[in-house]
Amino acid sequence: MTIDWWTLGLQTVNAAILIWLLARFLFRPVSKIIEKRQALAHADLDAAEAAKAAAEAERAAAEAERAEISASRAALLDAAQADAGRETERLMQQAQAGIAEERRRAEAALARAEAERRRALDAQAGQLAADIAERLLRRLPDAALTAGFIDGLVAAVAELPAPVRDRLGSDGPVPVRAARMLLPEERATLEARLAETLGRTLPLEISEDPDLIAGLELDATNAIVRNHFRADLARITAELTRHD
Amino acid sequence: MQSPLEHVTLFHIGPVPIAEPVVVTWLIMAGLGAFAFLATRKLSILPSKTQTVLELFVTVLDDQIRDTMRRDPAPFRPLIGTLLLFVLIANWSSLIPGIEPPTAHIETDAALAVWVFVATIVFGISGRGLKGYLETFVEPSWVMMPLNLIEQITRTFSLIIRLFGNVMSGVFVVGIVLSLAGLFVPIPLMALELLTGAVQAYIFAILATVFIGAAAGESEEIPLTAKESD
Amino acid sequence: MEGNLVEIVSVFSAALAVSFGAIGPALGEGRAVAAAMDAIARQPEAAGTLSRTLFVGLAMIETMAIYTLVIALLVLFANPFV
Repeated sequence: MTIDWWTLGLQTVNAAILIWLLARFLFRPVSKIIEKRQALAHADLDAAEAAKAAAEAERAAAEAERAEISASRAALLDAAQADAGRETERLMQQAQAGIAEERRRAEAALARAEAERRRALDAQAGQLAADIAERLLRRLPDAALTAGFIDGLVAAVAELPAPVRDRLGSDGPVPVRAARMLLPEERATLEARLAETLGRTLPLEISEDPDLIAGLELDATNAIVRNHFRADLARITAELTRHD
Repeated sequence: MQSPLEHVTLFHIGPVPIAEPVVVTWLIMAGLGAFAFLATRKLSILPSKTQTVLELFVTVLDDQIRDTMRRDPAPFRPLIGTLLLFVLIANWSSLIPGIEPPTAHIETDAALAVWVFVATIVFGISGRGLKGYLETFVEPSWVMMPLNLIEQITRTFSLIIRLFGNVMSGVFVVGIVLSLAGLFVPIPLMALELLTGAVQAYIFAILATVFIGAAAGESEEIPLTAKESD
Repeated sequence: MEGNLVEIVSVFSAALAVSFGAIGPALGEGRAVAAAMDAIARQPEAAGTLSRTLFVGLAMIETMAIYTLVIALLVLFANPFV
């Protein structure tokens, strides 16, 4: 067996050339393209990861915003409720105050009406009392209608101030009204008593006035002397109805 | 009968005799180079069918180297891949009538084994440093140094003889059967030769990987991109 | 039959080398295939890896027979003593 050294040398060179050839034209480009694709895939994966992270962050932000919005809404709601509560309180107080005011006014009005009514009742009662008295007095006998009043009239004239008394009758006869027409003796008595009091005769002009109920009234120009029940009743009525 | 150990000198270039295996090797080189050049001229991210096949080949090759060496396959890829491709195509070139595989001649196998031997030394020194590489010869002790040195030679020699014997015996047996029996009888043997040729190409490449990997030592770190294509 | 003794011995030794050289690898291959079958039966999901390793191992074992074949061919065709 012989080894052909030329062939061995040539094949060695050939093998070296083939290794270089395939490395240059086959393995390097293919492995490069594989690495490139892997790099692209990694980049895509990274980009997807980043996008996912961004979306996650966005979602978290949206969540936070939503929480914030709900919190602020709750706060607004609370504030509004507090406001409404205060307003309600205020309105309630106002209304209560108004109601109290109204009640006070109503009570005052009621009291006033009550007072009015009582006054009216008093007046009515006074009037009724006067009417009763008048009606009772009307049942007095005729003699009693004038008999007791002459002395009273004379006494009243006597109490008049002196100048007034002096001037009585200076303008002519003094009108005297009586509950009934005076009897002659009563008229004489009256004249005599007046003359006695005044120291002079006083001409009288006697007229009848049933309104007086009982008594006499001397109606001079400068003085009026009343001595009859009508005047008394009027005074009592005034007294009764005058309250304040 | 012609001896399978002889080869025919076709012609001479000056004083250099050009034998038949050299010419066949040139043809194979031309074919492989042209194919590689044409196939990788237009590579794109979206691969064509040819590109997919090429990428699959490179990926599987990388995985094999990585599994065997526990290292980044990039520096070893051209040598191992070229050994695999060339031996495979050379073994199968016997299918073409009138062509005898270059690997059936011991000079071609010896040339390939020489490069494996050189690569063992180069990658051993670059992987461990000169001192570290020389220290591998005295393990586990000084006594083993002669054996280690002899092992370097014998395993290279067995690499040569293994490939040579398998391919040559196949060619030889087919020739004998053809001369004895006739036209169609050797076809099963040729089919067996295809299987043997493929297995021997794989074995040659994987043994080269093992030798180089043992010389270079295991890498401390496996690159990150390594585990993804598993 | 005026043969050279060296040639006769060469042919005889070549046949002897191939025949005895085939025995060892044959036994080894048989054991290897049996072990692989056993392993595949135990663990069918590992059949791919096992069969790949089996083929490589068979080729390695076969190489021993091939060595003897090479020796036989050397003796037959490149005998230095002829």
